Amino acid sequence: MSPPYIDVEGLKASYDGSRLVLDGVDMAVEENEFVAVLGPSGCGKSTMLQVLSGLLRPVAGRATIAGKDMTGSSSDRPRVGYVFQDHRLLPWRTVASNIELVLEAAGLPRREWDARIDRYLDILQIGQFRDAWPMRLSGGQRQRVSIARALAIDPAVVLMDEPFSTLDEVTARTMRQQLVELWQESSRTIVFVTHSIREAIFLADRVAILTRGPARVLEDVEVPIGRPRRYEDAEITELESAIVDRVMGVWGYEEGTPA
Amino acid sequence: MTDSRIAATAGPLQRPGRRWWSGSGSSSDRLFSALGALSFVALWWVGSVTSDFVPPIGEVLDAVPTFLTEEDIYGDISDSLTRVVGSLAVAVLIGFWAAYLMARRGFWGLVVARYVDLAIGLPSTIAALLALFIFKRSEIGVFVVVTIACFPFVAITLRQGFLSLDRRLSEMSGVYRFGGISQIRNVSLPHLVPYTLASIRNEYAHAWRVVVIAELFAVNSGIGWRFTQAYDRFLLVDVALWLLVFITILLGTEYGILRPLERWVLRWRGGEL
Repeated sequence: MSPPYIDVEGLKASYDGSRLVLDGVDMAVEENEFVAVLGPSGCGKSTMLQVLSGLLRPVAGRATIAGKDMTGSSSDRPRVGYVFQDHRLLPWRTVASNIELVLEAAGLPRREWDARIDRYLDILQIGQFRDAWPMRLSGGQRQRVSIARALAIDPAVVLMDEPFSTLDEVTARTMRQQLVELWQESSRTIVFVTHSIREAIFLADRVAILTRGPARVLEDVEVPIGRPRRYEDAEITELESAIVDRVMGVWGYEEGTPA
Repeated sequence: MTDSRIAATAGPLQRPGRRWWSGSGSSSDRLFSALGALSFVALWWVGSVTSDFVPPIGEVLDAVPTFLTEEDIYGDISDSLTRVVGSLAVAVLIGFWAAYLMARRGFWGLVVARYVDLAIGLPSTIAALLALFIFKRSEIGVFVVVTIACFPFVAITLRQGFLSLDRRLSEMSGVYRFGGISQIRNVSLPHLVPYTLASIRNEYAHAWRVVVIAELFAVNSGIGWRFTQAYDRFLLVDVALWLLVFITILLGTEYGILRPLERWVLRWRGGEL
C-alpha cells in the first residue's frame, strides 16, 4: 500500500519553542482529494498550513507531500500554492506581474507565462483585470487573483487558509461554488482551512476536525453528500448539526452557556 | 489583516483616486492656492508702501529682464543646485543606512540613533560655522553642512518604512520561494519607495534653505553668496530678485518635477472599490 499523498504524523509545532500550538497532529490526504480542516479560531489550523508549506519548522513529527519532506530546507520540496486569508498581492505590481513573479520563482519557462496567466485569470473570470493594480480591485477580485497565482505554478498541493472569510456572503458563496468547479476540472489536491462547519461540508470530501489549541485531530468525517451540492441543502444542514453536537463540548462551550 | 492595511503599510497614504498627471487637485484647491499667492503679492505691496526696506513690486518686475540677461547668475544658480542635489543624494544614502541600523536596533542602531538625535538638534547656522572652522572656505564644507542637516530627517522617515515592512508579504514570498535578492528587489525596496520619495520631497526644500546659509559663510558663489553681496551693498531690488529666483526654483522643482514624479511612481495607489 502506497503512503498517502500528504502524510502528517505526530506533528508538534511552536512559535516560541515552549508553548505548543500543534500537539501531535496526524492526517493523511490522498492525491486530488479536497480536505477541509475545521477548528475553532486560534486552535492552530493556520500553523498546520505553515508547516506544510515549509514556512515553519515543527518541533517534532513529520510532514511529507508526494513523499518529499516539507519540514527541512531541502530544495526539491514540491511546489505549494497558498491562498491566504488576505490576498497578499504586491500592491505595486499589476495583477499579471504578481503572477509572473511566482512563475519566475517556481522556475517555469518564460515562454509559458502569458498563456498560464491568461488561462487562470480567465478561469477565475478576471481576465479583464490583467493589467490592473490590485488596490483598484474589489476584495473578491483580489482573492480571485490570489487563487490564480496559487494555481498558475502547477502546485503539488493548494493550501487555502480561510480565503473567503473576509468577503461578503454573496461573493463568498459564488467563490465557493467556483472553487468546487475549478477543483473538479483541474483535479488538484486541496487542503482548505476554515472555522465554518457549513463551508467545510459544502466544499470537501472529508473534514478533519481539530481540538482547541494546542491542536490535534479530534475526528475525521467523510462527507457522504453527492455533487453538485447547494449551500442550503438539507443534507448539509443535517451533517452540520451532527458535527456541531460533536464539537460543542470539545471546542469549549456547551449549549445554553455563553460563548 | 485587511486589504486596506496592506495599502496603509506601503508608505504614507495620499488622497486616493487622483491621477498622477493632475495638478493640485480640485478647483477649490486651485482657488485657495491662487488666493494664497495673491495674499503674498498684497503683503509685498503693503510692505513696500510702509517701509523703505521692501522694494516696490513694479521696480522689481522692471529689473527682471535685465537680471535674466546677466550670464553669471546662471553659474551661481547652477552652483547652488549642484550643492543641493549632491548633498541630498549623499544624505539619502547615509539616511538609508542609518534608518536600517536604527530599525534593527542593537548596539550600532543605538549609536546611530544618538548621532541622528544630535544632528537634528544642531542648528544649521552653527553647523555652517563649524564647517567654516574645519574646512575653511571650501566647497566640501557646504556639502557637509547640507548633508548633516538633511540626513537625520531622511533617517527618521525611512526608519518608519523599515519598521513597517510587511511581514505577511515576506511570508508570501517565502511560500513562493522568491529568494533573498528577489525578495529585496520586489518586496522590501518597493515598500520603502514611498518613504524615500516623501523624505526627498521634504528635505529638498530644507536643503535649499540650508545651502543658502552655508553659502553665506563658506564660499564665494551660489545664491546665498549673491544674497550677501546684494545685502551688503544695500541693493534691495537685487535681494528681491534673488529671493524670487530662490522661490521659483523651489516651487518649480516641487510642483514641476517632484510631485508629478511621486504621483507617477506611486500610481499603483488608487481608490479602493
